[in-house]
Amino acid sequence: MIESIVSYGLAVGAVYAMIGITYNVMFSASRVFSFTSGMLGMLGGVLGALFITKFGLPVVVGLVLVLACGVPIGVITEIVTVRPVLKSLEQHLYVLSTLAFALMVQQLVAIEWGTDAQPFPRLIPIGPGWLDQQFWLPMLACAATIVGLEFLYRRTLVGRAFVAIAEDNYAARALGLPEQGLRVASFALAGIIGMLAGFTGAEMLLAFFGNQSILNFYGFIPVALGGMGSNRGAVFGGLALGLFQQAANFLLGGIFAAVAVFVVFIAILLVRPEGLAGVSTTRRV
Amino acid sequence: MSTSLRTITRRQVLAGSAVSAAALASGFPAPAIANSDPIKIGYLPALTGPSSSTGVGINRGTELAVEEINAAGGIDGRRIELIVRDTQSDPTKAVNAVAELTQRQKVAIIFGPLNSGEALAATPLIARDKVPMIHPCWVDQLIDVKKYPMAFRNAPTNQQIGGAANQYVIDVLKLKKVAVVSDTTGYGTASVDAYVPMLTAKGAEVVFSGHIDAANPDLKPDMLRMRSAGADVIMPWSVNAGFLARILNTRGAMGWEVPVVGQTTLGSGQTKALLEKPEHWNKVYSNNFRNVCFSKDGKLPARAQEFVERLRKAKLDMGDTLLWWIALGYDAPRLMAETIKAAGSSPEQITGYWNKLKAWPGVYGDITFTPELHNGFQDDQVIMCEVNSLRDGAFNLAPGYGA
Amino acid sequence: MTVTDPPIATEVASAGRQARFEIALPWLALAAAGAGLPLLDDSYVGVIAQRACIYWILVAGLNLVVGFAGQIAIGWVALLTVGAYTTAVLTAGTVTSAWDPYLALAASGLGGAVFGGIVGLPALRLRNFYFAITTLGFATIVTQVALAWKSVTGGGIGTPGPVFPWPFDPGWGFYYLCFGLAALATWMTANIAASRFGRALVAIRDAEVAAEASGIARPRWLMTVFLFAGALAGIAGGLFSSLQSYITPDAFTFDLSILFFIAILIGGRGSILGPLLGTIILTVLPELAAPLVAWSTFLYAALLLVIVLAVPGGIADLLDYRNRRPMKQHRVIAPRPELLPQLLGEHRDSAALVLSDIALNFGGVRAIDGLSLAIRSGEIHGLIGPNGSGKTTALNVISGYYAPSSGQATLNGIALPFKAPHTRAGYGIARTFQTPRLIGGASVIENVMIGGTCNGEGSFVESLMGLPRHRRDEAYFKTAAMRALETIGLDQLAAVRADRLQHSELRFMEIARALMLRPTFLMLDEPAAGLSAEEIRRLGELIKAISRAGTGVLLVEHHADLIFDICDRVTVLNLGKVLAAGTPSEIRMHREVVIAYLGA
Repeated sequence: MIESIVSYGLAVGAVYAMIGITYNVMFSASRVFSFTSGMLGMLGGVLGALFITKFGLPVVVGLVLVLACGVPIGVITEIVTVRPVLKSLEQHLYVLSTLAFALMVQQLVAIEWGTDAQPFPRLIPIGPGWLDQQFWLPMLACAATIVGLEFLYRRTLVGRAFVAIAEDNYAARALGLPEQGLRVASFALAGIIGMLAGFTGAEMLLAFFGNQSILNFYGFIPVALGGMGSNRGAVFGGLALGLFQQAANFLLGGIFAAVAVFVVFIAILLVRPEGLAGVSTTRRV
Repeated sequence: MSTSLRTITRRQVLAGSAVSAAALASGFPAPAIANSDPIKIGYLPALTGPSSSTGVGINRGTELAVEEINAAGGIDGRRIELIVRDTQSDPTKAVNAVAELTQRQKVAIIFGPLNSGEALAATPLIARDKVPMIHPCWVDQLIDVKKYPMAFRNAPTNQQIGGAANQYVIDVLKLKKVAVVSDTTGYGTASVDAYVPMLTAKGAEVVFSGHIDAANPDLKPDMLRMRSAGADVIMPWSVNAGFLARILNTRGAMGWEVPVVGQTTLGSGQTKALLEKPEHWNKVYSNNFRNVCFSKDGKLPARAQEFVERLRKAKLDMGDTLLWWIALGYDAPRLMAETIKAAGSSPEQITGYWNKLKAWPGVYGDITFTPELHNGFQDDQVIMCEVNSLRDGAFNLAPGYGA
Repeated sequence: MTVTDPPIATEVASAGRQARFEIALPWLALAAAGAGLPLLDDSYVGVIAQRACIYWILVAGLNLVVGFAGQIAIGWVALLTVGAYTTAVLTAGTVTSAWDPYLALAASGLGGAVFGGIVGLPALRLRNFYFAITTLGFATIVTQVALAWKSVTGGGIGTPGPVFPWPFDPGWGFYYLCFGLAALATWMTANIAASRFGRALVAIRDAEVAAEASGIARPRWLMTVFLFAGALAGIAGGLFSSLQSYITPDAFTFDLSILFFIAILIGGRGSILGPLLGTIILTVLPELAAPLVAWSTFLYAALLLVIVLAVPGGIADLLDYRNRRPMKQHRVIAPRPELLPQLLGEHRDSAALVLSDIALNFGGVRAIDGLSLAIRSGEIHGLIGPNGSGKTTALNVISGYYAPSSGQATLNGIALPFKAPHTRAGYGIARTFQTPRLIGGASVIENVMIGGTCNGEGSFVESLMGLPRHRRDEAYFKTAAMRALETIGLDQLAAVRADRLQHSELRFMEIARALMLRPTFLMLDEPAAGLSAEEIRRLGELIKAISRAGTGVLLVEHHADLIFDICDRVTVLNLGKVLAAGTPSEIRMHREVVIAYLGA
């Protein structure tokens, strides 16, 4: 039982963490929390099943194709739902524009792909039991994402430009950094990460249109708790959430596990709205 | 979305695209049925939405039957017009659709809803509007001769289904410790609530019973709890293929060799497609119906065999659904057509005819109604089959099952 | 709070009958259509209409939360669920003896209110997206509980809904019950919209800082509206359970939440008529053509996207043709300072606002280092210094937005509480802001009326029911605001949408808003920024008149001429410290001030 809690919990937690990172990457570039994070995760599973099972492509090709699809979807998100809103005075409308777009995509998938959870192919034929690849594949992907992002942000010029835009928008623009291009690139990057999360997690979650709402919610919790914009916080938060959820599943059963997660989440946020690791927002007057 | 619905089955009621109450109000009530006017039958399947697998399957049979009847001249020269309203597995849409069918379309009969959740809301309303209805939902309380005198069921009840499954587990497999589970739909919860006392009354010990959210991807915790409670058999009740497949896959992954006895959907093509290994389909026995299963000699009953031929000729797919759904859908319009031909199309004529119906020969089942009993399916027609014997849409009877 | 009525000739008052008829027309049309619906003798239309009425009852309340207060409550179907189950379970007689359906409906309203308060609680601490996610979580929880609590709710099997007795029995009778309650909900929320509560909610949404400065305490007002919206949703739920005749958890889908939410946004925030039309449209739309049923949620989402991108103001914006009329091009702001005594009142006691040794750190930066100054009634005290010297910060400390690390601010010896900006209005301290804080979608006079919110005496319930005290309040607000606008010189623009005004007009509007408080002390943060020379001159005269009328003025400014022209005393800040303090002539000669700031 413990192995099951640990293996499944960490694995699904890694998926939540990666969705959290998807939220963060989009947030860093635009100060916008986008409902499309869960949508990307859902599409990762659905498109993966489509390419590998329905079209019969090999697993690696399917993965590359899925990640590639993340780029245009991320870019479209930025152009259609974020850019127009940032220009207007009422910036909080982003919640609505991203919600609308994500809902449209979800309904399309529900109608065209179907509302039943479809099977996701077995990716690598390694090991049953708690060493099964469906568990450590997401963890591997999460680790690769974190390492990749650290490298990007600290060692490459583009990455440091991303950080600059996030830290101090005006100064960065004053220095001549192409804010818009970098933002589009960030959203494309978020698209890739979201797709990766959905793809690696689909062996557990299946190719299911309902994953969007699940991932939107459970992928946001690591961000809320770990502090917005903090990827490390998202990883810790995600893994902790996964373990907590699995343990609650065992102890309380499925229905009450969801209630437990939510109650704890609300309680923490009410006490510390900025999250466990976050910083209070600054001057608004 | 089903795109095979043809003009005879689909009708746009309101013309024009103006979005206004005026447009809504401009439809006038249908005229009294004159001698060459089509006979309107209301149809409430769930073709989209989470519980659509039954609807999609049944729909294939229904469309085929209506086509055949109309091609053969209809009912005394009058076409059947099937007015379809997709309920989307949503009771609120079902309620709206009932109002449209009974008030505006003034249909003669309503077939459906096909899911219990929607039927629970729709049946009282259809009864209030005094329209005869036939539905195939299993939840026991959906038929009540006093509350809903014009509602009839052409399928088994939960009691009959559960009775057959329980009898198989206790009397044939001779197992005593049972784990009974369902998803969280109305049908699922009603089943478990009904079956636990039935099992206990037959002397079994229900070591585990519960409802599991079908969207939960990990059933390991619940299955482990079942195992540690000492269950010898798992009885799942759900029409959700994903949920059932996950139970079978988890059982296989755990290496836990207990039999699984339960809902017919265990044997559907959809469930099979979701299995990780073909072996996971072993030792799985589901309800099914004598008329559509292979008997001991490996042959289908004549009516069913002929039906399967007809499906093949019409190139209707059986692989992703269940034969009995298609058969049920096929039987309903035929029964209705016969009724109207024999007795007329007013509510009293229809219900009067049905109240006297004896052994009506359907492909799916022989239907008998009496004024006191509106559940038309016979106990002995409910049997258990072995799901991994699936071929051509039908199954073998389960081993140890009496003929 | 007596107000004498000077002769007023403005667009607002004389718009009178014509405008009132224009406004009433759509309502009359809807009322007639609704009341006359049974004449169509089509029960199908009746069912759809019942549904639209029931949804509108819920949306009317939610409109105050989402459209007015700007809280992104997406998971509101949770309250419909609570209301539906409360009524159904109480009338079914499974848990208690069967209740009378009307009592059960009332109980649903109560349950809805309580739950609305619970759902709204996170809104007091969380913003935007965070709060939206919590409402989604609530929606899930309620559904799960309904599924799990079999003994009460019937679990997945559900429970039958109530049947109301004659004259509201199923069919047209029940329709009239729904229609009547919908009309009541419309009337009540329209009353709130045209009351200080409605304006305050919009202020919280669009100009929170200004709302606080006007004395509007966000937590209390938000909670009130969540409770009320919850009650309406609960009642809608009870009616819903009767319409459905039988409720199961799967009837309360996320799609319904989306429908409610989008109806408000399509209709336009801050409007009642818009969301009403939106609700009707979204309820009726899927019924127009059968294929639309499956695509309905997709269409709702697409509509939402179009609205957000193209017409953020929704239907209400499209219908607002009055605000599309072109405005006069060369407008002049002509204040009439002689009206001030009427506006501010005749006899005013003198008071002193004293800062003692204020010090404030932002992280490692010492923003203010030992600031002491005193403002007296009738005196204009100027506060100048280079950028970053701490002028606005000092203002914010007095306003209560920041708590200093040491030191205190007192008014006539009473210490002012910090980190509590909404208390300042009660002390008679008003202010304007460096960047004008306005509610773009509201008219100028509505923006100004917000300044006087705390002076209202009527309670929320009285506004809800349109009781006399509410009407007296509204009359007072209108005349006082008109007077303030006349004093400032913007009365010609009273009915115009605030976001159509020029920058300089907005600055004056803020002053009008501040004057509504009849402040003992008025703090102006760079009011001359962006004004023309003539406007600055008029501003100076206005400020002088304000101080002569007995108000103490603290003027933070960069325009040295204005400062030296009108101030009685001047304090100069540099790097958070007081560089010099004294009369204008002293400061003008002060060596260090000249070097640091003024220039030779």
